[in-house]
Amino acid sequence: MPAPAVPLRGHTLDVDALTVRYGGFTALDAVSLSVAAGEIVALLGPSGCGKTTLLRTVAGFITQASGRVSIDGAGIDDLPANRRRVGIVFQNYALFPHMSVADNVAYGLHARGERGPKANARVAELLEMVQLGAMAQRRPAQLSGGQQQRVALARALAIEPSILLLDEPFAALDRSLRLDMQMEIKRLQRQLGLTAILVTHDQDEAMSVADRIAVMQRGRIDQLGTPVEVYDHPATPFVAGFIGTTNRLPGTATAEGITLHAGATLALPHTLPPGSAAMLTVRPEQLTLASDPAPNAWPVTLGLAVPLGGQTVREVRCTDGTALRLTEPRRGAIRDLGASAHCRLAPGASPTLFPHTEE
Amino acid sequence: MKQAFIRMGPALPLGLAYLTFFVAPLLMLVAVSFFADDKLTVMGLDNWRKFLFDSFHWKVVADTLLLGLKAVCATVLLGLPLALVWRGASPFWQRVLLFVAVMPLLTSVVVRTFAWIVILGREGVVNQLVLGLGLAAEPLRLLQTELGLVISLTQIEMPLLLLPLLSVMARFDPNLLDASASLGASPWRTLFKVVLPLVAPGLAAGALLVFASATTAFISQSVIGGGRLVYLPSLVWQQAMINANWPFAAVVAIVLLVSVSAVIAVIALAGRIAGGRVHGAAA
Amino acid sequence: MTLMSRRAALLGAAALGSAGLARPALAAGSVTAAIYPGAWEEAFREHVAPVLKRQHQIDLEMQGLFAVDQVAKFAASRGAPPFDCFVLDPGPRITAIDRGQFERIDINKLANKAQIPAGMADEWGVATGAQVVGIAYNPKKLPKPAGWDDLLKDPWVSKLGLTGFGTTFGTVSLIELAKVFGGSETNVEPVFTELKKVLGKVAAVGTPAAMPGLFQQGQCDIMYTNTQTVTTLKDRGVDIEFVAPKTGAVSFITTLHIAKGSTNIDNAYKYIDAAISQPVQKALSEAPYFFVPVNRGVALGAGLPMRSLDEMSRFVTHDWAKINPLRAGWIDRFNREMAK
Repeated sequence: MPAPAVPLRGHTLDVDALTVRYGGFTALDAVSLSVAAGEIVALLGPSGCGKTTLLRTVAGFITQASGRVSIDGAGIDDLPANRRRVGIVFQNYALFPHMSVADNVAYGLHARGERGPKANARVAELLEMVQLGAMAQRRPAQLSGGQQQRVALARALAIEPSILLLDEPFAALDRSLRLDMQMEIKRLQRQLGLTAILVTHDQDEAMSVADRIAVMQRGRIDQLGTPVEVYDHPATPFVAGFIGTTNRLPGTATAEGITLHAGATLALPHTLPPGSAAMLTVRPEQLTLASDPAPNAWPVTLGLAVPLGGQTVREVRCTDGTALRLTEPRRGAIRDLGASAHCRLAPGASPTLFPHTEE
Repeated sequence: MKQAFIRMGPALPLGLAYLTFFVAPLLMLVAVSFFADDKLTVMGLDNWRKFLFDSFHWKVVADTLLLGLKAVCATVLLGLPLALVWRGASPFWQRVLLFVAVMPLLTSVVVRTFAWIVILGREGVVNQLVLGLGLAAEPLRLLQTELGLVISLTQIEMPLLLLPLLSVMARFDPNLLDASASLGASPWRTLFKVVLPLVAPGLAAGALLVFASATTAFISQSVIGGGRLVYLPSLVWQQAMINANWPFAAVVAIVLLVSVSAVIAVIALAGRIAGGRVHGAAA
Repeated sequence: MTLMSRRAALLGAAALGSAGLARPALAAGSVTAAIYPGAWEEAFREHVAPVLKRQHQIDLEMQGLFAVDQVAKFAASRGAPPFDCFVLDPGPRITAIDRGQFERIDINKLANKAQIPAGMADEWGVATGAQVVGIAYNPKKLPKPAGWDDLLKDPWVSKLGLTGFGTTFGTVSLIELAKVFGGSETNVEPVFTELKKVLGKVAAVGTPAAMPGLFQQGQCDIMYTNTQTVTTLKDRGVDIEFVAPKTGAVSFITTLHIAKGSTNIDNAYKYIDAAISQPVQKALSEAPYFFVPVNRGVALGAGLPMRSLDEMSRFVTHDWAKINPLRAGWIDRFNREMAK
């Protein structure tokens, strides 16, 4: 892949206490977020969590009630969308259907008054970069979904944006193509040193593309951290539940750990008042099965097992009725459905303990 | 053959109705225009000559077509912004705007036309406002002027522009506007480079309806335009219903049909070209 | 073109301008009358039809047709008249007489013969309504005009609403205006000359149908029109008065005729007799129609410039046999002279 003629310099993006309201509904509630130069941050959350609102406010399509957005430290709140130099790739790509691929890519250059051989060369270069040089004169409707997305990307990059916004860019692609495009975007972003924000509701996508993930719900960011941080150390039960598969085990906090209703006492560091209701969130791979009883193991009844790649995902049921999922190596003994066993934390696992609130 | 008949079968009644009630009368109209006298006894080109070699008649043709074009320009200039506002409005306001836009269709053209007498007259609403605000010392002359006629036709024909335009607008992807802005285009650039080319087919369809309707709006033309503005439809009426000169009325009617159709063909072609650029398959 | 195809064109042309293609099959005891669409049709349905039914068990079938359509439809029918009776204004009446479209009428067969004033019936037809034409003005805004020429003088001219030769009342008014300036029934040239001088001042040049609306809205405060329009507007509370010009009010009649070749002549007489009978004429002279009656037994409304119908013989009348051939030219001329 050829390097761009004009290397892009990374820019920083700062969102400070941004609040957006639609009528009486608060879509963004004093959200703050700093994105470093050359970093990709994924905004991850269920629909209605405010991630798209945040993206569109940064782009200038929505005006905030309060708060600031700055690029490289300078506020852009007073700039209309067409003067922010924020590139955006839409979920449906929003290519101009009446223009050729080349005209789509050239649109931003023409809007800036750049025409002639230099602009044409830039368009050709961008199309080569997204491997669509041969498609320059086609109409968007004549391209596949993946090709359309690459055109949308080239079009957004043509204006040399200081920030690139990606609004669920992979949602319309089929699964195999999605991974290719994720890799490609990440490669381009690295190559060009782009600062980017990716909106997605797909945690795998966020994990594979983003440097950091902001998990959002109800107009707030619950946790901002690297993929490993949010996975291993979710800051809230919501994050724990939204990222990956999570088991929830209720119990009572003790001075040293938690006494599970399922019938075991575990030693875990925590800050809850002893005696208070607590909830242990634990990943499937943080649990393991044993034949013999132990103080830190609780009895379970084995349920169905499903092979998944190199592992088996098994369902077990605790004596208090809680259902759990855990992974075990495939080479391990296949135990019978309905057999009794004991469940405990895998060695080295440090799951998170939250106060248990009735929801 | 039999298969073709079966396939065409359902279209037959429509085709027959079309032949009986549209093509046949049209052919009769053409036939009548080639009679030389009003009793339809002598054939001749007299009435065609009478029309074609008289500059007054050509002025009436030009005035009629110009009236249509002015009505088209006025409805487009007002209707397009309205359609853009409609596109951006909430579903509730979209319904309200649509109702207001279509409401003129729910009242008879006679009622609408006479309402404009009340609005545009010497002592009408507009003049009371103008005099009340001290904008003019004398009442403005609006009724029986082409300006007044164009104003009222704009309101009367607006639904015909809006309905096709709004149906295209409804399918317009709002992200295209945001995409254009994010690429640095000003709102005007977005309007001319993105919105107009994409709504051109709807705009052309609406303009076509407005043109055909405004050029043939006999009641509005005669009631609001008055006796000093002569257009082809009132000429047809005079010749057919007062002078009983059907051959000459037929000549005028055919000229009206042909000249209006010619302009419509041009508008439709323009719309097709713009539309073809959107949906064309040219590689 | 052969005779066949010419007839086809005639038939088709008539069909274009008329409501029905064929005459409906009639039961015995009915009569088919052509009638002007709108007020006339309503009035006859409401007042003439019930009388015919009650007194003679005759069903009145009406065909809504303008004068031109009646003449054309009859011409296209060739011997099988599409209706039994015409209703026509003076101009088309002359055309129809020229084309031999009427049966002669024997006045003695009409029971109401004695009630019809002189000049309201002849060998071809019987009047069913009259129009009295003069000047109407708004007394709150203008002084009373005396004659036709006042229309073209200040202060009236700047409030004048004009209409052309498209209607009978418009045509006779413009002829009378022409006469004041030396014109005649066959020479309206002075009207064009005089109108040209003041055209810039004239308040409105409207179509006949729009004139009452324009007057009501104050767009014009003086116009020539018939008493029927004046009474109707007055009834709606508009400030309007009728003036008979010093050269005399104009009158003309709308007449009923029996179609040549009608197989229903007895019923046609009964229809005409019913239409001119005192109760029907009285009803038609009242709201909302305000027709000028043609039956001596009907008391005249306050808005009319005469005490009795017999006075109408002194009103100005016109010879439409002379006007008809010239009228198309006048209409064309009016278009050109008035056009902006």
